Amino acid sequence: MTIMRQELTQLGGGAHALATQLLGNADDAADAVHDAFEAVLRRPQAYDSRKGPLKPWFLRVVRNRCLDMIRRRRPSAMPVEELIDPGTTPEEALGVDQRRMAIKQALAMIPAEKRELIVLRDYLDLSYAQIADVLGIAQGTVMSRLHRSRIALKEALDNDAQ
Amino acid sequence: MLSNTKPMDEHVGELLSGYIDGELTQQQRQRVEIHCGNCGKCESELSALRALRRDVSNSRLSEYGEDVWREKMDDTTVKVTRSIGWLLFLGAVLICGGIGIYAFVFESSMGTFEKLLIGAVYGGLALLFISVLRQRLIERKADKYKDVEI
Ligand SMILES: [Zn+2]
Repeated sequence: MTIMRQELTQLGGGAHALATQLLGNADDAADAVHDAFEAVLRRPQAYDSRKGPLKPWFLRVVRNRCLDMIRRRRPSAMPVEELIDPGTTPEEALGVDQRRMAIKQALAMIPAEKRELIVLRDYLDLSYAQIADVLGIAQGTVMSRLHRSRIALKEALDNDAQ
Repeated sequence: MLSNTKPMDEHVGELLSGYIDGELTQQQRQRVEIHCGNCGKCESELSALRALRRDVSNSRLSEYGEDVWREKMDDTTVKVTRSIGWLLFLGAVLICGGIGIYAFVFESSMGTFEKLLIGAVYGGLALLFISVLRQRLIERKADKYKDVEI
């Protein structure tokens, strides 16, 4: 149990990144991760280590929590300009880290279902099988979906650069 | 089934993503390598996708440090432990109460009137307690953590 708590604590940042991409807001995303912590601690036996590592499993719990929050959210509760604001670091604000900033902005311009694929693969380093598991999609569709998402992100980046 | 017998002029498309992710079969990998050796368009797309992947993995999509999560985890641990503690406590109280009532009704040497009087006092307290508990449970029902899917 203590080991599981430690592991979950370490997964917090990555889960928060995913939740932020889904919810478009860092505070809501932190709530989603916090809720997921609680859900898991209340029923730790729901995780079966024989079925695979904790990371993709926990990410799925967090993602389900996010989808739940989105469903409950009033449509007016999310103004477009508020979409994706993971917070700006001082380096980014000073323009020192423009590439990071550009990536964040480009991610904000593509649909959430494309964003999450990219984040799961390129930021959280999940395999295609694990991504399929988290998203509940067929493993055979991950490559094409991911590729389309990357192309979309690349276009958003290129448009942004112009 | 994709194979390396496809004509050379067919671009490899999504296989480029599979290639940089290390998710292709030996045969598919060879096809990508051979094709990119002959197709400038796919070759430059491959390096662009690689750069994109690196940029995303180097980006920072969460500004919350690990200390934040440790704190949230500690909060959660306290909360969950406390609710398990309450559950145990209430369970024990119910069992003790049951034994007490049984002993009082069937084994006490008190007269019926005194039994009824004392019974009313404790019964009243129990009703009050249950009504408070019921209200708390109704509040809990609105609790957002209740139906987090696992
Ligand atoms: Zn080509």
